[in-house]
Amino acid sequence: MTNNKKPTVVWFQAITCNGNTHSLLSANSSRLELFLNSFDLIYHPSLTIDKSLNEILESKDEIDFLLVEGAISKNSDFFTISDETTNVLLNKLTSKAKYLVAVGSCASYGGVHAKFEQNDNVVGLEESLDKKSTKNLKHEIINLTGCPVHPEWIIQTLFTLNNFGKMAIDEEGRPKELYSTLAHHGCTRNEYFEWKIEGAWGEKEGCLFYDQGCRGPMTHSSCNKILWNDVNSKTRAGMPCIGCTETDFPRDNMLETKKNIGIPFEVPTGISKRAYLSITGVAKTFTIDRLNKKLMD
Amino acid sequence: MKTVEIVERIEGEAKLNCSWDNNVISDARIDFLNFRGFEFILEGKAPLDALVYTPRICGICGQAHLKATVDALENIYENINEKLEVTPKAKLLREIGLNIEIIDSHIKWFYMFILPDIIKLKQNDLGIYQPLKGSRWLGASKTASETIKSLAILGGQWPHTSYMIPGGVVTDPTLLDLSSMMNYIDTAVMFFEKSVAGVSFDKYLDFDSRDDLNILSGDMKYFTNLAFENSFQKIGTSHNRFIALGESSLFKTGKIRQRAINKLDLSKVREFTEQTFTIEDRANPKKHTWSKAVCYDNNFYETGPLARAMIGNKPFIKELHKSFKDSVFTRVMARMDELAHLLDNTKSLIKQVDISEESYIKPKINLKDIDSAKATSVVEACRGSLYHDIEIEKGKIKKYDVITPTVWNLGPSHKEQKGIAQKAIIGSKSLDIAKIVLRSFDVCSVCTTH
Ligand code: SF4
Ligand code: SF4
Repeated sequence: MTNNKKPTVVWFQAITCNGNTHSLLSANSSRLELFLNSFDLIYHPSLTIDKSLNEILESKDEIDFLLVEGAISKNSDFFTISDETTNVLLNKLTSKAKYLVAVGSCASYGGVHAKFEQNDNVVGLEESLDKKSTKNLKHEIINLTGCPVHPEWIIQTLFTLNNFGKMAIDEEGRPKELYSTLAHHGCTRNEYFEWKIEGAWGEKEGCLFYDQGCRGPMTHSSCNKILWNDVNSKTRAGMPCIGCTETDFPRDNMLETKKNIGIPFEVPTGISKRAYLSITGVAKTFTIDRLNKKLMD
Repeated sequence: MKTVEIVERIEGEAKLNCSWDNNVISDARIDFLNFRGFEFILEGKAPLDALVYTPRICGICGQAHLKATVDALENIYENINEKLEVTPKAKLLREIGLNIEIIDSHIKWFYMFILPDIIKLKQNDLGIYQPLKGSRWLGASKTASETIKSLAILGGQWPHTSYMIPGGVVTDPTLLDLSSMMNYIDTAVMFFEKSVAGVSFDKYLDFDSRDDLNILSGDMKYFTNLAFENSFQKIGTSHNRFIALGESSLFKTGKIRQRAINKLDLSKVREFTEQTFTIEDRANPKKHTWSKAVCYDNNFYETGPLARAMIGNKPFIKELHKSFKDSVFTRVMARMDELAHLLDNTKSLIKQVDISEESYIKPKINLKDIDSAKATSVVEACRGSLYHDIEIEKGKIKKYDVITPTVWNLGPSHKEQKGIAQKAIIGSKSLDIAKIVLRSFDVCSVCTTH
């Protein structure tokens, strides 16, 4: 790095469990190091030590990348940071920023915290920003959904914005390159899905779509392409995708498949229910030894 | 004189209110002003959905919440006389997962949350310990992220997996998976030998006297020197009472007041709310925090690694405690000592997994068909004892109560007694010291108020 003026990054934490922070810290370590070398993370409430949030707010300097973890609320009865509501702080910070990135589902649309009905004002960034504050933004808000978001998605997004100044985003504000494919893509259980072989808890074999509630075929994410912690994904391990990158997360009854007379209520994105059921019927008539047997037998 | 200070660089934020007398803190109060309402969110949900929600109470100790939830749900079965069969394999895989998370948390806590503040008391240049830049900080962060891979092998990812489920676990690791897990743990063992303790692992595990402090040469030694320079062996003492609710192959249940007792009666665990905001009552001047207070048999007890070492008879820490009581020094050393024992224990647990056993045995009854039942569970999490209490009615969650370790340590006073951290802070000579005392408990405000 010869250029000594690195783009500045401010990480603001609002209503959160800190899961996205720990997700970032769990990134591939050489990627994290490259990121820390290439950007200047000038503020993170739990990691940095040089500046306080107040100093950031009082400083005249622009923020190149404002990253926000957590949902936002106007309600000071339930949530304040340094005596201000997260809404006020977000607007102040945003007015200094060039790029605004929502890190995780809570920052994107409220996520789990929006389920706390007694606080009727828990929302994502987009909903809580005043027009005035967004004047200086060079790009639409980027929503990196996920509960938590994959650390590599954060790193790739920041490098891309920094190198190219723009990214194609979908109607939810998510980078298309990360969210146009489904969690289902790359799942090691795909063959079982094709041949309609049902899985069970605690087994390597079978697909989790039929009983365990897997949302892989309806969830836009690259969990099975860019593996978690470099090594795995939930569906590979045996846990269904719970659709944490979609705006309807968290849904009810996440660990079971909603069915109607034994037939999954929802079928994969992009196919009619009738067509899907006919394929299922045909596929089920085959007995494929390799798939019906235990893998390790 | 009174001062109010906002404490950052913990998990979340806390407000420290101090009264001063002759430049010494004569009274202290800790406020946690944020509340996310998890217990309310859980009401009316399907019982299994709690496995997805409760890990999201906290991004760093989610597996402890997951384990507490799965135990509570299994205890529900037991309470309706349908005790589930859970294989030793599934039990091991749960304990291993939880251990790994604690290992990750202890490494991060030492290097990210406590060491920089202590070094800063003396010098401006943090050198290799500089957050985000220093080689040791980066080494610690790398070690944590390598270690956590072994949990991702089981859970598919970390943070936030729900791989434990009533009846077992969803995962079915191969021998190769188990060996990779062992490899990742070994990365942390190497880091412990080289950087944390600076002595061979086996030698460290044999530590049993105060003199062993002289054998240390890594960052624990560096910490020890800084601690003695700042008299941390004398400050931060609290009630000197300890509790551990949960148990595992490494941890023992019990409490120490005057003497150690290994039997606890969970009905003596009680929460108090005289000083705690409620949804209906935020304006009451008596109330100042969202944290409740929790007592065992009406007394405050410290929970966490120091408590576990005392109750579990860990010789090195017991010896340090003889000389230095429940001081900042002993507390920090207990957490780092626990790191070594966790690494050792986790490796041996991985070796015990018999992959030919089932990972999961299906319960005969669906939780949704249960008309009414209650259950409690206790688990040892990174920061101490975690308690979950669930009530199901007509197949839905009617009530869910969570008491986190930080409520034990950081909750407000009750009747005449000062809370654990509150009492420990009194006597500090500066705000910087007070903050270190507070941090010695490994503060997690998101957990405290949940
Ligand atoms: S388990 Fe889920 S993601 Fe994997 S193949 Fe089946 S439906 Fe797709
Ligand atoms: S696989 Fe599904 S539930 Fe898991 S992180 Fe990806 S989108 Fe979220």
